[in-house]
This record gives sequence, structure tokens and C-alpha cells, in this order.
Amino acid sequence: MDDPGVLLQIIFWGLYAGCIYILLATGLNLIFGVMKVVNFAHGEFLMLGAYITATIFFLSGINPYLIILLSMLALIGIGAIVERLCFRPILGTGKLNEIFLSIGLMYIIQNGAAMIWTDNWQSIRSPYDGITVPVGSLSVPLDYIIIMVVTAAILCGLYLFLKKTTIGMQMQAASQNRKGAMLVGVNVERIDVISFGLGCALAAAAGTLWVVSGQVFNPYMGSIPAVKAFAIIILGGLGSIPGAIIGGLLMGLAENGAAYFLGGIWKDAISFVILIIVLVLRPTGLFGEKGE
Amino acid sequence: MHISRDKISKYGVIATFTLALALPFFSDSMFILNLLVLMLIFIIFSSAWNLLAFSGQGSLGHAAFFGIGAYASTLIAAQSGVSPFITIFLGAAVAAFIGILIGLTCVRLKEWFLAMVTFGFAIIVQTLTVSVLAPVTGGWDGISSARLVSPSIPGYQLIEYYAILLITIGSIAAIWYIMKSKVGLAFLAIRENELEARAAGIDPVRYRLFAFALSAYLAGVAGALQIHHIGYLTPELYGVDNSFWPITYVILGGLGTLAGPVVGTVVLTIIWEGLKATGITFGRYVIIGVILILTIIFLPRGLVSLPEELQKLRERMWKKEPPEEVISGES
Repeated sequence: MDDPGVLLQIIFWGLYAGCIYILLATGLNLIFGVMKVVNFAHGEFLMLGAYITATIFFLSGINPYLIILLSMLALIGIGAIVERLCFRPILGTGKLNEIFLSIGLMYIIQNGAAMIWTDNWQSIRSPYDGITVPVGSLSVPLDYIIIMVVTAAILCGLYLFLKKTTIGMQMQAASQNRKGAMLVGVNVERIDVISFGLGCALAAAAGTLWVVSGQVFNPYMGSIPAVKAFAIIILGGLGSIPGAIIGGLLMGLAENGAAYFLGGIWKDAISFVILIIVLVLRPTGLFGEKGE
Repeated sequence: MHISRDKISKYGVIATFTLALALPFFSDSMFILNLLVLMLIFIIFSSAWNLLAFSGQGSLGHAAFFGIGAYASTLIAAQSGVSPFITIFLGAAVAAFIGILIGLTCVRLKEWFLAMVTFGFAIIVQTLTVSVLAPVTGGWDGISSARLVSPSIPGYQLIEYYAILLITIGSIAAIWYIMKSKVGLAFLAIRENELEARAAGIDPVRYRLFAFALSAYLAGVAGALQIHHIGYLTPELYGVDNSFWPITYVILGGLGTLAGPVVGTVVLTIIWEGLKATGITFGRYVIIGVILILTIIFLPRGLVSLPEELQKLRERMWKKEPPEEVISGES
């Protein structure tokens, strides 16, 4: 508190953490918006993205920021398979069923990953590790700035995809009114696969940025960020992508603030404290219009 | 030839009782007895979770109430010196009280919001346990807790087994009574259609809270039993694993049925221990995950519906006539 530099530092960390949450929450929102599916296993896709990036990096030594595209591509495929095999058969049988199925997916993906990559904590070094850039009175790691730029680029790309392409517009149509979209000839099942794949790709991007920034990762790292991402989309209003962005940034800031002022142990708990307070005061979320 | 379903379930109950009573005589292995005790505890825990699901609410953080019951009972026993047999129920009451508070935040929300809030709540409780409450709870290191039956008494494990068996039967009987009563009907009505239930004069908020309190209470009993059986507790009690096991057990056994949690717990524990014997580590969880997903997709009413489904399948195999609709459609 006494040092404004520390406060700025916290804000900067918050923005960086917020970027990862934004990607995760946006992907989740995309899936929820189109399919109305509650996929609690979304964090497992983040974890897979992280491992795929790290593995390719270990094998080839390519700049990890470039591997992000490969990782996203791989997760589109994995996401499409998961959607087809697991979620489509139970679509419309109730939200709780979807949650229970996600638990099964979590067991499979987490421990499958542990069988391939062991359950040790790992980390990789970014090629820009140790380089800092002066921003005002702060010196900020270059990686954090690249992460923010990459996140912004991905979000802009997503925006253009949703607004300008036929598939993007079909996705919007399906999320606004599934039956209506079907009536005007949108192949809703195909749109489901695409949105699920795209959501997973965004999770892979989040996972890649997570490991590139030097954070440690293991097969079980995904579940808590995923539930936090759910907290974010509830805070931001279900199905609202601007809400997910603002919610993600707020969550990043709140977490890093709490870690500094209350102690690191509160980093995970604070997001749920905020969620419970918001749900009690405003059940539709901060920016939501009507409850889902 | 044809046996009515009532008779099957009656024989099933009698057989299960007899087996549960007689099992310790077949094997005096400490390992088996310990396994049976833990199985009973998880039957209570799964049944508690199942009761909540029966009322249309899903919790992803039932480990919170499991843990609160355990900690409260241990601390009460340590402070007052009262026998764990009494503190179990006091500790569970604390869990129920906190359950009502958590239920209150969610009763008016969609069911899956509750799933998130409870998941988060387990993390919050764990955080509190190791930070603010660490002086009392021992933080990450945990504390030792009084044994249910002192190990100095000969045959204490058998006494413990029968005591826990008694509590398990009592819990299941209580749940059976509630499911059969008007309250159970109200739960069903709310689960199926809240609006219609309200029109029939059922107050969903009150019944949901009641289900939540009762479920948290029984989860607390289970948690307290487990740590008084083991004699030591750590904040890992609040872990995701403990929240997810009852869900897995209940789904495999049969969601919303009385026998489901029992069948699911027993079958899955046997599978789990069998896999453990083969030395698979991570693969065990993968197999459990596959079983869970296959059950949800292909056997949505769980193992308890298996005889019925097989019967249907057999009838379909024998009668290979074209469906009636086709014929009537032509006429």
C-alpha cells in the first residue's frame, strides 16, 4: 500500500493473469453460448495445450510463441472428437449430467496425460526469459507484454471470425436461437463441433501462454483455472464475450491483489469468495441481463 | 419364473444385511476389515450426496461438509473429552449449519451454479483451515483425533465395524423414510418441475434447504467417522478427490435411488482395489473415467437398472417382428 510501485506491479501481474483467464473464459463462453453445455473439463484442454506446446518445444526448439498455432490446431481436433463422442450423445439431458460427464473426462484426460508425461511439475524457458522492458517506473518482463499482445490478437481474430465469416455468423445464429438457426438451414451439429473445437483451441492458447511465461505445469493444473473461468463467465454474464473479457481482467487483478495483501494461499479462494458475493447480491452476474 | 421387483429388492436388502453382518467372520484380515469400514463410510457419504441430487441439486464440493464434520467432531472431542460416538453427531450438526448457509446463497439459482459454488466453497474452507484457523486445526500438518474405539480394547476393529455398520444402516433407513414420505415427494416434484411444484403449494426454497442441511449432516457424519477411524486428519480431506468419489459412486450405482450409492460404492471399490493389485497407477483413474462416461451415456439410470435393461434387451432380441406403428400407418 505504501509503495505505489508495488501496486502497479500487482496491477501488471493481474493483467497478465487476466489474459490467460480471458482466453479460457472466452472459449468456455463460446461453447456455452452455442451448445448450452457446461463443460467443467475445459481446464484439461488448457493443460493439454500446455503439454503439446512444451513437447514440441523440447523436440524442436522452435520459438514457443509460434508453436501456439500448432497447439491450437491440435486441440481443435481433440475438442471435436470429445464433442462427438461424449457431449453429443447426452446433449439436452440436463446440466448436471454434463457436469458429471465432465468429471469422467477430467479423470481420463488428467491421468492419461500423467501416463504420457508423468505427473512431475515441469517448466520451460522462454527465449525472452530475463529481458525486461521499462514501462513508466516499472520494468516489466518482455514475455508479459508479448502475452498481452498475443491475447489481444487472438481476440481480434475471433471477433473478425464471428462477424465476417459465414461459419462465424452461423455460430452467432445458433447461440441466439438454436431452433431458428436450424429452420434457416444452419447445420447446428456441425456448428457444435466447430464451436467446441474453437473453444478448446482458445484453451490451448491459454495453456501455451501459461507455460511460455515460465509457470510450472503438471497434468492436474487445469481443473481450478477451469472452474475460475466459469466463475468469470457467471460474473461477466453468461454468453457475453465482452463480459468474459472484463470479468477475466477483474479476476486476474483481484487474485494478485489478494495474494499480495492476504497471502499467497488466498489466490484460489478469493475468486470463489467474489463469486459467492456476486451471486448473492446479483444472481444474473455483473453484466448479465437475464438469468440462464 | 417371474419375480416381482419388490420381492427382488426385499431379498436384496436381506442378503445385503446378512452379508454385511457376516463378512468379518469370513476374513480376519485387518486389511479387509479396514476396507469394509471405509466402504461403509463412503456408502453414507454417497447416500448423502445422492439425497441432494434427489432433490435436484448437484454439489461438486461435498468434501467441504465431509471435512467440516471431521474437524468439528475432532475439535469438540479434544476440547470437551466427550466420546467420539457423541461428537460425530455434534460435528455433523456444524456441517449441516454451514450447509444451510451455503444452500441459502444458491437456492434461487440454477442447479449448476450450486455445483460451482460448492466446488469453490471446498477450496475456501481448505484455505481458511490452513490460514486463519491454522492455530486450531494444525494447518497443513493436521492434527490427531480421538479413536472411535480405543485400540487398547481387544477386538476394537470389530466393534468399530459393527458400530459404523449400525450408523450406516440408520442413515440409509432415514433417507429411505424421507424419500418415501411427503417430503420426498416434494423433492421429486421440485426436481421435475419447479413451477408446477410451486403451483401445488410446495415451497421449493424450504425443501431445497432441508435437503441441503440433511445431506451436509450425513456427509459430516461420514467425515467424522472416517477420521475417528483413522485417528488423524489433514486439510487434504477437503480435496477434489473426496468431492468427486461420491458422485462417481452414485452415478455408477444409480442416481436418485436408495440402492444406487450402495451398489456403486461396493462395485467401484472392488474394481478400484482390484486394479490397485495389478499395480496400475494413473490408469486406474482413466478406467474409472471411462466407466463413468459409458454409464452416463449408455446406462443413465445406473447399475441398479441393469436387470431391467437386460430384460428389455432380451425381449427385443426374441421378438423380431416389425414395430406395430409401421403396420397401422399403412391401413
